[in-house]
Amino acid sequence: MNKTNNVNIGGFPFTIDDDAYAHLQKYLDKIEQHFRHSEGYEEIIDDIENRMAELLNERIRNKRIVSMEDVEHAIGILGTTADFGADDFSEGRSAFDSSYKTGKKLFRDPDDKIIGGVCSGLAAYFGIQDPIWVRIGFAILALGAGIGIPLYLLMWALVPEALTPKDFLSMRGEPINVNNIAKIVEDQVENISDQLSELGSDWKSKRRKKKSEKKKSWKDRH
Amino acid sequence: MKAQMRKGVLELCILSIISEGEAYPSDIIQKLKEQELIVVEGTMYPLLTRLKNAGLLGYNWQESTSGPPRKYYHLTEEGTSFLKDLLATWNKLVNVVNQSTKNLVGNE
Repeated sequence: MNKTNNVNIGGFPFTIDDDAYAHLQKYLDKIEQHFRHSEGYEEIIDDIENRMAELLNERIRNKRIVSMEDVEHAIGILGTTADFGADDFSEGRSAFDSSYKTGKKLFRDPDDKIIGGVCSGLAAYFGIQDPIWVRIGFAILALGAGIGIPLYLLMWALVPEALTPKDFLSMRGEPINVNNIAKIVEDQVENISDQLSELGSDWKSKRRKKKSEKKKSWKDRH
Repeated sequence: MKAQMRKGVLELCILSIISEGEAYPSDIIQKLKEQELIVVEGTMYPLLTRLKNAGLLGYNWQESTSGPPRKYYHLTEEGTSFLKDLLATWNKLVNVVNQSTKNLVGNE
């Protein structure tokens, strides 16, 4: 003999075994907690509950009572919060969402540097078009009170260099989305292929040089 | 970043599937499971809700014989043009990646 409960899931009445009820209750509580801070929280919970009702309904068909196995079957399809963990799409915005703003962060800009990229990084951070103004500022500080040089060295040591596309976007305070990343990847690919072709021609000319030198020395000897 | 890319790709797939006609979440999931993009249904609902709240999706209630009424999702006009943009971006990205890997192979 087993105690049963009458419950309403997604507007449908179910008769459910006591242990199965406790299990389901725990599951739905966990889901609620998981999505509590998500956008559209109530709707998500409703959707999941409705789907739960549908799955249970399909499953019990000819039986009258929902058992533990039925609940586990439905949970297996919907997934537990542990399953969501790896695939958490509930929060935040997607990679394509243009409203996803990065927090602006201070980086050193390795692409536009004279010494350590501190000034260009600062210029990017404060939205100054041309880093020359920051450089002039540092020069004045260095000449005037002599504080510019230690300040520069300190920042050089403390401020990280921008390395990844994400860093570059954060440096300029641009939103991270696929469009931007694509642009940066594109730039870098061009950069790399330029470097490779330069390297290639460098290497070829060196080899040519070596060959001609060899020929020369051979001729000299003979 | 990896999770974000996955999320973006998943969105693209969901919008594409819905663009083929009105779709019920569990049908969408069935298609995504085949591609091993998503494993459990639960991850889908927040995503659909977010896309709907962003004005990209709409839904109609349809009575069901097997349980509560079902939400069938469709693309809004905004969703259709968003999907078009997304596809263009995606193709661009694929091109860039292909190009870069081609360069790497060619220089080995």
